[in-house]
Amino acid sequence: MSDNRIEGYARGLFEIARAEGTLDVVEDELFRFARSFEGSDSLRSALTDEQIPPAKRQAIIEDLLGGKASATTTQLVAMVVGSGRGRDLPAIVNNLVARASSVKHQEVAEVRTAVALTADQQARLGAALVKATGKQVNLKVVVDPSVLGGIVATVGDTVIDGSVRTRIDQLKSRL
Amino acid sequence: MSVLSIIAFAHRIAEETPVLDKDGHVTTHSWILPENAEIIYGGISSLLIFFMLFKFGAPAIKKSFAARTEKIQKELDAAAADKSAAATEAATIRQAKGDIEGERARLLADAATQAAAVLEDGRVRLAAEVVDLEAKGVTDIASAQGRVGDELRAEIARLSSAAVDHVVTGSLDDATHQELIENFINRVGAGS
Repeated sequence: MSDNRIEGYARGLFEIARAEGTLDVVEDELFRFARSFEGSDSLRSALTDEQIPPAKRQAIIEDLLGGKASATTTQLVAMVVGSGRGRDLPAIVNNLVARASSVKHQEVAEVRTAVALTADQQARLGAALVKATGKQVNLKVVVDPSVLGGIVATVGDTVIDGSVRTRIDQLKSRL
Repeated sequence: MSVLSIIAFAHRIAEETPVLDKDGHVTTHSWILPENAEIIYGGISSLLIFFMLFKFGAPAIKKSFAARTEKIQKELDAAAADKSAAATEAATIRQAKGDIEGERARLLADAATQAAAVLEDGRVRLAAEVVDLEAKGVTDIASAQGRVGDELRAEIARLSSAAVDHVVTGSLDDATHQELIENFINRVGAGS
């Protein structure tokens, strides 16, 4: 899909979520769903398979997100997938998150951890990243078991890697 | 004396009185000899013909004989030349036969010399190849030793990595996860 179309979709989703007054929640849920979409081959192939009817793909979305995410998030994802743009969902969501962060004068901070962070940990981590980067951050936490342990934080072009995976990789390189 | 006077003279000599038989018919003087005029005119005609033949036919016949003689002489000369050429050719062939023998001997000598040179060259080359192969063998052995060492080190590294993965993932309980997260937050917060 062209950048203009991705931007168009992102702007549309952004305006809907803002009109609904659930931008923060929707943005966060879409971000996490996009990361799950990227990390799961079976989910990606199911939602991008043109042979599967759009209604069936939307039903999959309903099954996955129903009750776990807000209705707005579920409907927005279903709309994108139903219109045959599932392959571009991560790009659309990234654009939406960047747009939301820009509105809030923040930088997206993608944080990957092996286990979920508590609210307190997220707050302290956000503060630490603000202090470290000198920027207001829009924290997006992704639970990624491949990290094994610790945290990998990416703010713009800056990557702060404190993951066990990286340390093991470094150890393997030395071996 | 002109020809006409000769003819007239001959006519007078040949003039005879006709002889009649008992029936009054004209007959010859002799039962076997011709009449005088016939002898005279026939003799003159014969002489004239012989003269003409001698005068005009003899040169042509003589020329024909001369040409035939010349042709025969040429054929004899050609035969003699052919004979001479054949003799020369025979001499050449005999000489060539002698040369062939010499050439065969020379070729055999050359072949023997070349065979000896090839043999010597082959020996030298084989000796060099043996030296090269020995050197290559030594290099290959050293390379194989290095490769085996590398493979062994790689295998050790792979096993070590697997062991590290196993040990680390096995030791990552919830408390460790929390400790790692807290350490990261504190380190990032303190690192500014």
